[in-house]
Amino acid sequence: MNTLLAATTGDVADLGKAIAFGVGVGLGAVGAGIGIGNIFGSMIQAVARQPELRAELTGIQWLGFALTEAVVFYALLGGLLAYVLV
Amino acid sequence: MIASLLLAATGDFEPQEEFELPAWVPIHIGPLDMSINKAVVYLWVGAAVTVLVGIWVMRFGLSLRPGRRQTIGEGLYEAIQGQIVEGSLPSKGVHTWFPYVASLFLFIWILNLIGFIPLPISNEHFHVAGVALPTWGIYAATANLSVTLALALITFLATHVEGIHYNGVVRYFKSWVPQGAPKPLLALIVPLEVISQFMRLISLSVRLFANMLAGHMLILVMLGLIFIFESYAIAVIAVPVATAVYIFEVGIVVTIQAFVFALLSAIYIGGAIEPEH
Repeated sequence: MNTLLAATTGDVADLGKAIAFGVGVGLGAVGAGIGIGNIFGSMIQAVARQPELRAELTGIQWLGFALTEAVVFYALLGGLLAYVLV
Repeated sequence: MIASLLLAATGDFEPQEEFELPAWVPIHIGPLDMSINKAVVYLWVGAAVTVLVGIWVMRFGLSLRPGRRQTIGEGLYEAIQGQIVEGSLPSKGVHTWFPYVASLFLFIWILNLIGFIPLPISNEHFHVAGVALPTWGIYAATANLSVTLALALITFLATHVEGIHYNGVVRYFKSWVPQGAPKPLLALIVPLEVISQFMRLISLSVRLFANMLAGHMLILVMLGLIFIFESYAIAVIAVPVATAVYIFEVGIVVTIQAFVFALLSAIYIGGAIEPEH
């Protein structure tokens, strides 16, 4: 169960699980990162074009941010479940 | 679960112990474990602070020329009214559900904030002159799936109760099925719609839970690196990073997660009261 020691004791199963967990969460973060970048990029464009809509757009922006960001945590939770259960 | 996630320290520093919940006052009612533990105490503190904040800003000494206290209260009210309720709850549902959504926002916000204030509510103790005092630690009740799931369940129940109340059983469940969908596809669409209703429950609770858990873990793991590598040199990097994460969490995540939870609750309930189809 100890990931740090897994490398030194040669416990290959634990090592594999640790790598899979890291890669899984990392890939989840890639997707969410692109999504969040998209949201804020669009927000900047929208406000640059129509600054008077800023107040209205801010709420939508944060909602979109939170919904997208949550994807990382689904990946994290899925990875954790796989790590613990398998 | 959490114990195996973290790199177990070579010393006896175990950051994941922050999230273990041994019962302080065991209460068992049949198969139900109602024991009082750290999360329960944090919930009590959060509820007390929420009630006190509500009373303090809104319940006495209101005047036509608002002072600072009243300005805070009115700002809070306006923010919830303008950002959360308006546009998500139909006007016939506002009088019932504005109080719910507003207290949901306030409660979760305060629970999240309290989670980042070091409080002497802890499982561990240190000794001063023979007296065992609890260590100061950070822990958020919302970093516990049971708490967020209970909150999401209230929204889930409210959604369907209000949907049936305003539309009748038949019309409400009919509204789940998109109109004009071709008949052969219905066998595919209906199960998907039913599943998506339950997915809301999961996404609503897991979003808040995982966000708070990850925030606390990040701070604890960063500081834990000092103990894992048993070198103060790590502190040069670890402490600033942990501080940055702390500021990010307190400044942005805490508020956004409370906001999103309340907003989605309002959208779900509003959508059930007035289905689009």
